[in-house]
Amino acid sequence: MGKLIKYEIKGTYRYILGVLALVLILTTGIYAYISNTNEGSAFGATFIGLSVLVIFGTALSTFLYIVGSFRKELYDDRGYLTFTLPLTGNQIVGAKLIVSLMWFAILGIVIAVYNIIMALSFSPVELNISELFSMIKNMGIPYKEFIIVAITGIISGVTTLILIYLSMALSRVTFRNKKIGGFWFIIFLVLSALITYSQVKIAQFLPYYIDISTFKVGSGYMLSNNFYISTNENGIIMSGDFGNMLFNIPSFIYSILMGVLTFLGTGYLIENKIDL
Amino acid sequence: MNNIIEIKNLTKNYFNKRALDNLNLDIESGKVVGILGPNGSGKTTLIKILTGLLRQTKGEITVDGHEVGIYTKSIVSYLPDRNFLYNWMKIEDAFQLYKDFYADFDEKKFEALLDFMKLDKSMKIESLSKGMHEKLNLSLVLSRNAKLYVLDEPIAGVDPVARDQILDAIINNYNENSSMIITTHLVRDMENLFDDVIFLKDGEVVLQGSAEALREEKGKQIDDIYKEIFGE
Amino acid sequence: MEFNDNLPIYIQIMDLIKSRIVSGQINGGDKLPSVREFSKNLKVNPNTIQRTYQELEREDLVFTQRGMGTFVTEDIGIIKRLKKDMAGTIVNNFIVEMEKIGFGPNEIVEIVSECIEKEDK
Repeated sequence: MGKLIKYEIKGTYRYILGVLALVLILTTGIYAYISNTNEGSAFGATFIGLSVLVIFGTALSTFLYIVGSFRKELYDDRGYLTFTLPLTGNQIVGAKLIVSLMWFAILGIVIAVYNIIMALSFSPVELNISELFSMIKNMGIPYKEFIIVAITGIISGVTTLILIYLSMALSRVTFRNKKIGGFWFIIFLVLSALITYSQVKIAQFLPYYIDISTFKVGSGYMLSNNFYISTNENGIIMSGDFGNMLFNIPSFIYSILMGVLTFLGTGYLIENKIDL
Repeated sequence: MNNIIEIKNLTKNYFNKRALDNLNLDIESGKVVGILGPNGSGKTTLIKILTGLLRQTKGEITVDGHEVGIYTKSIVSYLPDRNFLYNWMKIEDAFQLYKDFYADFDEKKFEALLDFMKLDKSMKIESLSKGMHEKLNLSLVLSRNAKLYVLDEPIAGVDPVARDQILDAIINNYNENSSMIITTHLVRDMENLFDDVIFLKDGEVVLQGSAEALREEKGKQIDDIYKEIFGE
Repeated sequence: MEFNDNLPIYIQIMDLIKSRIVSGQINGGDKLPSVREFSKNLKVNPNTIQRTYQELEREDLVFTQRGMGTFVTEDIGIIKRLKKDMAGTIVNNFIVEMEKIGFGPNEIVEIVSECIEKEDK
């Protein structure tokens, strides 16, 4: 699998670097412009507007590019090479997944860090990094909650990506020889709806929660009358009215299980069901 | 002699179309076998099932005693009828990929073949002509010391000079310990390579046997038998 | 090489080698090309060349020395007989064709001797 990852990276890094360069240049332009003008001009507004548009467009096309690299295996001639390599379906899906995640992570982190650097260097107030950190500390950001949200976010991203792969593979299996543009997206929407719905149901029937602040496990009694439910791909997070965060364990386990099943399902489909 | 390929009651349906109809076929190891038939006769479908790109609807197929899977993919060297290499590659990258994935890949053989085909490692895949593609793909495929070579239409659509080079490369690099399956509808150019031939028509075997025995029996070259079966 | 006769390839290659022996292009005791080399030259499956050599060996025209290769027989008698056989075949075919267009044995002899005299001049 490592070898396939190598060729995946080799095949896509030019595009990713190009995107990165474009976005960074535009970002620099925006920051430079904002810090150097005091009053707005028509030209400036157009420039910023356009840049933002380009950045959004690039983000979308990059997303489609990365996700679409899996689709290309299913529809393009390159599949004749990939699918005759002595690899299992899971290895192929795994390699695709890891490279996609890696690109998303690199793009996200580089752009975020670059924005912070830009903000700092163009900001009218002199700031140094340690001051910034102490400032953040003093603001009392709830670390545990932050980490949990980040982790669930990452897991949610991964499961979503796998679900997209499964939808593409399903779409390929259903319509063998026709390339129906966005059909996988419809499958994807239906599947995510089903999974989320069943998650909510599971949370309702098995109300066992973990309180993030205290790491206490309990059932419904921990919930007060006044709470908010937010759902995402992989778990139900409930916020009680005391500002503490409750986390539904069964639905979290369920979502991870679904992720694994989706992955294995995709591997099975491309190994046993795809007709190229 | 044992069989490298054994096929029992193999059937493949696409929706309402039957591409292979209850095919029974054994292929002996160490032979060069020609699968002959016009487009749509089921040749490519058979090859794709053999290489794991398609799944049969019914029936059994084993390669070297195994069902099609990772093992068979590691001993079968397959030349598809299209450009299957990744577009971003240079010849060098394709060479590295074969070296990485196939333990039976022979670097020296590949270098010699590239030289013979007048190709260079720094060339970009995208910029190659049809004939050069075919030559490169064949060089990669023949450089593996595979148990079974599967060549799908190796000379279709290439000019006569490239065609001769390709035929030479196949003969020079064929070794007696492995088997080779070649599909073609250009019978005249290739028939002297075959030990055995199989004629496929509408997904069924209509005639099969040793090429020499068929020539003797029918008093005709294989090309003429082909014309007789498939009509002019 | 193009194989156009409606005969198996190995027989056509046998005939090719025989005519080379008879015409003196290959001499008694000469080594024939290796199976691989010959198959490359003729663009023919090596198994076919193998078969050709086996059949020639059965007719005692060639012999194989282990590890050395295949050689044309040094027995002049065999080569002479081959030559005579081939001449016989050609003449027979000729006679059959001549009879088809209505010539009798005496007329054929006449025509042949006339032609040979003309060539000598």
